Amino acid sequence: MIETGSFEKATYAGKGGPLFRLALATNLLTVLTLGIYRFWGKTRIRRFIWSATRFQGDAFEYTGTGLEKFLGFLVAMVFLAVYLGIVNLLLFFAGIRFVLEPTTEAELTMQSTVIFVSFLALLPWMFFAEYRSRRYKLARTRFRGIRFGMESQALGYVLRALGHTLLTTVTLGLLLPRQTFGLAKYMTDRSYYGDARFVQSGRWTALYGAMKHVFIGAVIVIAAIVMTFVMAGMNPSDPAGMTPWAILPVVFGYVWLLIGFVYYRVQSFAYLMSNTTLEGEVLFASNPSLKTILTKVIVGTILLVIAAAVVLLGYGLIVAGLFASLGEGAEDIGIVRLVIIAGLYLLLLAALSAGALALITHPVIAHIVATSSVANAEALSRVRQRAFDKGADADGFADALDIGGAI
Amino acid sequence: MSAPAPVEAVFFDGHSARRHMLRVRPTDDGAGLALLAEGAEAEVVWPLSHVRRLPGEADRGMLTLTLHHDTGDETPRDPARLVLGDAQMIAWVLAYAPALDRRDLRRGTARRVVTRLAAAAAAFCVLFFVLLPRLALFLADRIPPETEVVLGQSVKQQIEWLLTVDGEQRALTCTGAEGAEALAIMRDRLTIGLDLPYPVDLVVFDHAMVNAFAAPGGHVVILRGLLDEAETPEEVAGVLAHELGHVAARDPLRAAMRSAGTAGLLSIVLGDFTGAALIAVMGEHVMNAAYSREAETAADGFAHDLLRTAQVDIAGLADFFDRLDRDGTGLPEYIATHPQTAGRADAARGEASDQGVTRPVLSGAEWMALRSICEG
Repeated sequence: MIETGSFEKATYAGKGGPLFRLALATNLLTVLTLGIYRFWGKTRIRRFIWSATRFQGDAFEYTGTGLEKFLGFLVAMVFLAVYLGIVNLLLFFAGIRFVLEPTTEAELTMQSTVIFVSFLALLPWMFFAEYRSRRYKLARTRFRGIRFGMESQALGYVLRALGHTLLTTVTLGLLLPRQTFGLAKYMTDRSYYGDARFVQSGRWTALYGAMKHVFIGAVIVIAAIVMTFVMAGMNPSDPAGMTPWAILPVVFGYVWLLIGFVYYRVQSFAYLMSNTTLEGEVLFASNPSLKTILTKVIVGTILLVIAAAVVLLGYGLIVAGLFASLGEGAEDIGIVRLVIIAGLYLLLLAALSAGALALITHPVIAHIVATSSVANAEALSRVRQRAFDKGADADGFADALDIGGAI
Repeated sequence: MSAPAPVEAVFFDGHSARRHMLRVRPTDDGAGLALLAEGAEAEVVWPLSHVRRLPGEADRGMLTLTLHHDTGDETPRDPARLVLGDAQMIAWVLAYAPALDRRDLRRGTARRVVTRLAAAAAAFCVLFFVLLPRLALFLADRIPPETEVVLGQSVKQQIEWLLTVDGEQRALTCTGAEGAEALAIMRDRLTIGLDLPYPVDLVVFDHAMVNAFAAPGGHVVILRGLLDEAETPEEVAGVLAHELGHVAARDPLRAAMRSAGTAGLLSIVLGDFTGAALIAVMGEHVMNAAYSREAETAADGFAHDLLRTAQVDIAGLADFFDRLDRDGTGLPEYIATHPQTAGRADAARGEASDQGVTRPVLSGAEWMALRSICEG
């Protein structure tokens, strides 16, 4: 039986203003360098967030470098380009050869296979990238000078993830908790702080509680759609008149469903973290408040939309002005104006993305950190250092496949 | 600045996560930090020249220091950490440590980066410009002609749909009987002796655009606007000969295969940042435009030879280009899918100048019939 001391909270010291300025600068540099700077930019943002996360007054450290990410990306890029190029070509060829007008039984099967494969071609790589990305982030995180780490068993993760995805799809989402728990456990059980091992305990069925709003939302949507058809059937003379009334419950159910998914993510994260232990002694707890998170997301989104509207208005005025300055008889817009319009558009995107990070993502991160706590932290002082992990691709696959996420 | 008084600081030795409290003071010569652990006999000195700050800290009230030490890690840093919280000590270190934020790149880093970058760029170029196009051609040739004809039929229907999308949906093919006969005469004149894998299916679409195109499988479409714009049947024959060049080279199919192979590759390179999608689309257009210009020039050359063999006056083609050039599209060559029209006109005129005997491709009556093919 583990002795439970009291839980001590983590703290978050980062502010949205400085983060926005940092993200704006890195986004602009990224656009100006046609994307090359993004590795250094992401590194700086991670450093900001990591070093703002504190426990017992000591800050976390992100020790990854932009150069490492860049070199890792080059490796990933070549792998993926070869794979994707060949697969795309073969699928297109098979598509033309077999999909156009299948005449025999065999060709019909080929047709279904081709369509199926094209959806799945990148899926294994995305799971691979997910595992490698988490491993890289852990391997480059330090606390009190000691490295975190994760074992290099990405292949097992890919196979399990494919299996889980299949099961979840086949059961129309009913087995999603099993997938969430199974994959989280696989990764957590292979994670380390120094020489101390993390273990994920708990049962996947406990996550059904977190799914409840997803179920409710789904039921509302389905019921509303069924009602629409029933009422349209009862009112054959005026089916179109029912539409406004029918739309409302569907929208209502859909919004509930969306919030249900947020609820699921938050609650499952809290459950998973609260059932994680380190070397059998250190305990963790997570108590995020869904209300707080939703409020922060909604308020942040409203602020962002207002800011975006103002900026877009300015952009529209500039574009209109450029067109107005064309004068009579001009045949086409000219390359200079095109460059200005495209350039300003990219700047706009950069600013909005920085705004989204600072207004929406950042407050949620702050809240999650501030509601996380640790018990028996004295056991941490016995943890010993872990060897350096070279990390060949430095989450380059995640970058190439666009699954990196905000941080 | 006078040397600050000794202070307590948090220390992690990098071998275990245990927290140590040390007394830190500047050394007597002001060139280092002297650290004294509880119960330790002697001080450990950290020379200021080797002291480095941890980058990117969000908090000014804390200064985390470590030493430059080539440990083989991602950066050459000692795993130990010294955390200063005292404002005076922090100010003193910030003022006197000469290389606090130096990056300390290892020797040979630049060379390593350049080599990797060159290797990746080379691999990508080989893939994009050699491997995939070759594979695309190989596969395109494996598609049986009958399949290509069916594919071309559906492509033609899609374009027909696109051309009527802002008006009413209707079949665009013009059906004037005499015009169709004249068209067949022109087609047969040009295709005599031409060995194509499938018959040429030539029709006119009733649309005002001045254009003609070839879909896979020998489907060639001339738009009515081109018939209206042309002044002699030799001009139309010239355009038809050019499209036949595309048919003979199976250009439409090859272009589609090549696009399919290289689609999305550029977005892998550009990866995950805001605005990447826009740059990727523009970039792919520029890259594919070069191939398309090559194919267009080849089709022009094929047209010259075909017209010469059929004894049709190449000057017609040159006249048509001249008229097109006057209207102009204004796109710079490197993003245009066709070579500059003036250049094409000059090439055609050059060919026409040493052409031998020519015969008219259509009689006056046949030309009139062709021009009114869409009115029947």
